[in-house]
Amino acid sequence: MPATLGVDDLAALARGFSLLGSGGGGRTAILESVVRRTVSWPVALHESEGLDPSTPCVAVGIAGSTYLLAERLPRVEAFERLLAAAHRWTGTAPGAVCAIEGAGLNGLTPLLLTGGLRFVDADFMGRALPGLDQMSLIVDAVPGVVCAASTGDQGITLVESPVRGDVEQIVRSALVQAGGANEVLVAGFTVGDLREHAIGGTVSRALSLGRAFEATGPGAASRLAHDLGVSLLGVGRVVDVAERSATSASSIEVAGDDGAILRLVAGSEFVMLLRDGAVIAEVPDIIVAVDSISRDILEVDALTPPRHVTLLGIPAPAWWRAREARLRAVDTRAFGLTEPRRA
Amino acid sequence: MNLLTLAGLLALPDNGGLAVVRPREAEPDQLPSVWDGIVWSLDARDLTAVPGGLAILGVEPPSEPWQQDALIRRVHDLGFTGLALPRGHRLGEGTRRLGQRLGLQLMAVEDSLTLARACWHLSEGKDALTLDYVRKVARSIAYPADNLADLLRHLSSGLGHGVALVDAEGVLASAGGYVAPELLRAMDFAPWLDFVTDPPFTAASVRVDSASRTGLRFVIFGQGMERAHLAALGVAAEVAMPAVAARLLIDEVADVNDVAVASGLLREFLESPGRIEDDLSRRMIERGWRTGGVHLGFRIIGRGRIDALALLRVVKAELSGLAIDSHATTSGGGVSGWLTFGAEPPPPELERWVAALRGLHAILQCRFNIATGVGTLESGGVGLAATIDEAGDAARIAVNRSATGHFVRVDTLGLEQLLLAWSEADTFIPAARALLAPLLEPGSELLATVSAYLNHESAVAPTAHALGLHRNTVAQRIARAQELLGLDLANPETRLAVQLACRALSTRAEGKE
Repeated sequence: MPATLGVDDLAALARGFSLLGSGGGGRTAILESVVRRTVSWPVALHESEGLDPSTPCVAVGIAGSTYLLAERLPRVEAFERLLAAAHRWTGTAPGAVCAIEGAGLNGLTPLLLTGGLRFVDADFMGRALPGLDQMSLIVDAVPGVVCAASTGDQGITLVESPVRGDVEQIVRSALVQAGGANEVLVAGFTVGDLREHAIGGTVSRALSLGRAFEATGPGAASRLAHDLGVSLLGVGRVVDVAERSATSASSIEVAGDDGAILRLVAGSEFVMLLRDGAVIAEVPDIIVAVDSISRDILEVDALTPPRHVTLLGIPAPAWWRAREARLRAVDTRAFGLTEPRRA
Repeated sequence: MNLLTLAGLLALPDNGGLAVVRPREAEPDQLPSVWDGIVWSLDARDLTAVPGGLAILGVEPPSEPWQQDALIRRVHDLGFTGLALPRGHRLGEGTRRLGQRLGLQLMAVEDSLTLARACWHLSEGKDALTLDYVRKVARSIAYPADNLADLLRHLSSGLGHGVALVDAEGVLASAGGYVAPELLRAMDFAPWLDFVTDPPFTAASVRVDSASRTGLRFVIFGQGMERAHLAALGVAAEVAMPAVAARLLIDEVADVNDVAVASGLLREFLESPGRIEDDLSRRMIERGWRTGGVHLGFRIIGRGRIDALALLRVVKAELSGLAIDSHATTSGGGVSGWLTFGAEPPPPELERWVAALRGLHAILQCRFNIATGVGTLESGGVGLAATIDEAGDAARIAVNRSATGHFVRVDTLGLEQLLLAWSEADTFIPAARALLAPLLEPGSELLATVSAYLNHESAVAPTAHALGLHRNTVAQRIARAQELLGLDLANPETRLAVQLACRALSTRAEGKE
C-alpha cells in the first residue's frame, strides 16, 4: 500500500531534504514553489518492495553549482528530452522514477516527473554527496546503467561505460558545457535493482525529520537534537573560515560555548567535525549546521563569523557501511582527507 | 635526569632558535613549562608516549587548520605537555588556542635537532655543555682584541651571553647585554665563584685577580638560566678570567703610557707661549688637539693626595658622554682639559657647557677629594694656553672655596682675587717675608703705611687722609721704609713687587687673626 504525499507535506519534506543535505545539496525554495504548482497532488509514494521488481526505472537530479541552482528554474522539458534519449538507448519505457540524490533540491526533483511515472522511495545517496561516482548504482558497478545529461539548450550526452570514473568525468564536462548546472538522468535499471543497490526510504526519512523540525519550538540546542532524534555535536560561534582552495577543503572554526575548539571541514558539504583536535563526526554520517537563533538550516557558505550555530549529527544510511567497498567511496579518504581516524 | 624548563631552554644560546607560540590574547605562564623527558621524531605518528614530556618534531606543521588541530591533539593524547616544531609560527590562531585549552606549550624551533641536543645538555650532558662553552671561550680569545671592550665583545658573541667586568660600585665594561642593578646587588663579591639565581636574573661570576685593582669580577649573565647551565658557564668564566685580567693589565700599561705622552705634550705646549713649532703642532694634531676654534679650559686638582690617572680615567669616561670635542690629560698632579668649539658659542650655550663641567665636578667629588677651576672662553692656540692657565689659577682658588663647592670659574672672579691667589702661593709668601723683613719689626707701622701708600697711587695726601695721619708723618715713614728696604719705590717693577708682598703678608696676617 503506497503512502500518500499531500501538498501540505511539501514544506516538511523540503526541510527534511535540507537536513540530509549536510550543508550542501542546494536550496530547495525555488523547486519547492515550482513543484507546489505543477504537480498534481496528492502523489503516491511507493516502496521499492511494493512494486513489480521488473519495472524499468529512471533516476533524476540536477548537478552542478548550488549557487546557480538557487536561481535557475528547473526545466521539465529537459528531463523529457533525457527520458526520450534513455528510452531510445535502452529500448524500454520507464515505469517509475526516483532521485539520484535524496537530499537538498534533488530530493524534490523526481516530483516533476510524477505525472507519468510512479515515485519510488529510494535514491542513490541517502544524503548529499558531491560526485556522480558516489551514486550507489555506480559504486556497486550495476551493469547496463546509462547516464544521460543535458549539455545546455537542446543538447544531450549519454554515457554507458563500465570504466570507473567515466560517468563523473563526462557528465562533469557536459555540466561545464551547460554553463555550470545541468539535468541528469540515470536509466538502465529496474525497481528490483533499487532494493539491492540503492538507499531505500530516504523520502520517508526526510519527511519525518522535516515534520519533527517544523514541530520543534524555540529552545535549547539539546532540545532541538532531542526532538529530531539526532545527536548534538556542538554549539558555538563561527570565529574563522579558512576558504576552500584547489588543494584543500575549507576549514571553519567554531568557538564552542563550552570552550571547545570545533573545526568543521567542508567541501560542498560538511565532511568532518573535530572537537579539540579529535574527530567526532565524519562522512558518510550527516553533519547539519542550524542557525541557533533563526533555526535556518545552513549551507556551507552560510557559516561566516560571527554566526552562532548548532551542529547536529544524523547517522548515515546503513547501506554505506554494509560493505567496505561502499564505505571507501564515501568516507574521508574519498574526500582526500587522510589524517586521523576516529579514536 | 634533571627537569627541563622553558626559561632554561630559552636562556641557552644554542637552542635551535626556540620561540614560544601563543594565541593573540594568551595569558602567559599558564601553560606547563617544565618537562620530564623529551622525544624527538620526524613524524608525529612515530612519537611514543612520555607523560609530562616535551615532544620535538622534525617536520613543519601541516597546512590545514584541522590537521594542525589533530596533530596537537595526538601529541597531547600521548601525555606530552610541550611541543616544538619547525615553522611553529604557522600554527593557526585556533590551533594555538587549542594548545592552551589542552595544556600543551607550543613552540617554534628553527633547528629541531639542535634543540634536542640542548635538552640533552641541560638534562644529562652537563660535561658536554661545559666543554662546549670552554671551547667557545678558547675560540673567542684566539681573536686579537684591540682592548678590553673588544675582548669582552668577542667573548660575548662567542658564548652567546652577556659578559661584564664589574665591581661593587658598578659596571666597568660590558658586552652583549645590560647588567641590571638587581643582578649586581645579588652578587657576592667575596668567593672565587659565585652564582646568581634570583629570577629572572641569573649569572655566573669569578673573581678577577688584578694587581692594580681589587674587588673586580668577571661575570657571564643572562635571564632564567638553569643550574646546570650556570655551572657550565662558571667553568667558562674561570677559563676566560686570566685572559680578561691580562687584558686589563695591558690596557692599563698602555693607558699610563698614553697619558704620559699626552701630559708631556700639553706641558710642552703650555711652555711655548705664543708660538707653536711645526713638530709640536703635528703631534697635537695627531692627538686630535685642534688649536683653531674657541676653547674653554678646565683644571681639576686634588685637595689632598689623589691618583691623577684614576681621576683622568673617570674624567675621560664622563667627557665622552658630552656632545662636544673635549680633551683631557694629567698634568702636574691633576687633570687639565678643555672643550673646543668651532665658533664662539652664544652665552646661553656657553653656560650650558659650564654647567656640564660643574656636573662633571659633582660626579668626581663622589669619589675624589678635588677642586675644579674653569677658564674663560679664548680663541686660537694662544687662547688655548691662556684658558688652561686661567683654569689652573681658578682651581687653586677653588681649593679653599668650600662656599662654591670647590668649583670656581674665572669669569666670576675679580682680578684682584686672581692676583691674590697667585700671590698667596706658598713659594711667594717666604719671598715676600724676606723682602719686607725690615718692616716687620713688632709694633712697626711701616708695613701698613707702605701698603696704604702704594694703594693710593704713591700719593702722600690721600694716604695721610686714609690713615688719619699728617702728611709729613706719611712722607717721613715712606722715606724711612725706602731706606730700610734699600729699594726705590719710583721704579714701577719694584713698586709692583712691594705692593704684592704687602698684600700677601697683610691678608695672611688678617687670616691669622
